[in-house]
Amino acid sequence: MTAAQGPIADAVRDGTLPGRVWLYSNYHCNLACSYCLTESSPRSERRELTAAQMIAVAEQAKELGFTALGITGGEPFLLPWLPEAVLEMVQHLPLVLLNNGTLFVGERLERAAKLAHPGIALQISLDSHLPDINDMARGPDNFSKVVESVPRLLERGVQVRIATTTAGPLDSPALDPLKALVASWGVPADDHIVRPIVRRGRADERGLGVQAIARDIPSELCITADGAFWGSFGPTVRNGRLDTDLLLTRTILPLAVPANALLAAIGGMPQGADAALGIR
Amino acid sequence: MPRVELLDAETAPLSAQQYFSGGDPGPIVAALATVPELLGPALGFVGPALGAGAVGVRIKEFAILRTSALQGCSYCINAHTTVSLDVGLTGHEVRALRGETALEEAFVLAAERAMIGWIDALAGATGAIPDDVWAEARAHWAEHELVEVAVTVGATMFLNRFATGLQLPTSPQVLERLTAEGLS
Ligand code: SF4
Repeated sequence: MTAAQGPIADAVRDGTLPGRVWLYSNYHCNLACSYCLTESSPRSERRELTAAQMIAVAEQAKELGFTALGITGGEPFLLPWLPEAVLEMVQHLPLVLLNNGTLFVGERLERAAKLAHPGIALQISLDSHLPDINDMARGPDNFSKVVESVPRLLERGVQVRIATTTAGPLDSPALDPLKALVASWGVPADDHIVRPIVRRGRADERGLGVQAIARDIPSELCITADGAFWGSFGPTVRNGRLDTDLLLTRTILPLAVPANALLAAIGGMPQGADAALGIR
Repeated sequence: MPRVELLDAETAPLSAQQYFSGGDPGPIVAALATVPELLGPALGFVGPALGAGAVGVRIKEFAILRTSALQGCSYCINAHTTVSLDVGLTGHEVRALRGETALEEAFVLAAERAMIGWIDALAGATGAIPDDVWAEARAHWAEHELVEVAVTVGATMFLNRFATGLQLPTSPQVLERLTAEGLS
């Protein structure tokens, strides 16, 4: 297999452009977390990508020289066709699949078990080792559902990462018991991501989190049904309106169109300028 | 009421920000910004197509105002009535180009009449353009000038349908000016 050629591949290789392409598979969710960037809830507009679009993004991302994929939402596992599409996508690039970890029971668990693949990691949100604190932001019984789901997935050979979103300092000792809980599942420390609440979407309406402008947000290409955005924190929703300030293009395929627009947009921005707030 | 959201400095995409940094860029840019990959190319085309060019601003405003009148675009008629006055057309000429009075009375020069005939044939009709219209225009104007005006008419027709279809609003300043000039 020859290495990808062209300006995108060069920019990924020299670190100008992050290697990961994000996809918002859908915007609706079975939860309605207090800091949700996309105002997701069971009643949200779905804004779904199709399986064919997601697979095409994966294929073209590889051809252009990107090195990884990420899928987020909304709650991707609400889409019945998702596991099969993900298995096709990973033929092209490794991927991380963000989800809330609350749907892995019965048939859905067995469908998710198909994702036991070295190129696929499920990134599950868990914000505190204290059920009450966690559930205050993420909804009733969230903690118990997640702590039941993670071992079930691991038993089935599925790779799991944990993401913690916090209003406090990212290195706070208050997070140590949560880190210990995650470690007790056998999840490596590097696979436990701690990140701040970003003040966009519902978090902005409620005055939560850190203010972020484009240069604070990792400049990863992010594909949604509404267009392509600067970063996975770009296509947020506030008061029912999709934020357009970080919109790159309405065209999503061919992927070269938004990829080149992103490359043009980051021109002149110093490398690593997005690292200051720890947003990832 | 416009049919689409008109973006502003806060909501405009990154690549469109440059057009908002000097204040409100007007509803055409504010509507186009919702498809940012088209904004630069569209303005890159429309700007030179409507600019002075080789034929000069007077002829360009003939093309823009006349085309807008033939296409029934109130947004562009309003905007280019004021531009036409600014570049020196008289109220009488503006009214004639807007189709409100006879062209023959307002324009006496054969070259200008021939150019208006070319504009009318491009913007006010469909199908083939008669040879005599072209021949009359060529008798007074170089090929490149007629090509340039054809581009201006085409760009204006794009703006006419864009502004009309999306119901873009005329700015209060333009409406005030039109009232003051008796051309509203
Ligand atoms: S933060 Fe995630 S889990 Fe919570 S409502 Fe939003 S999409 Fe759903």
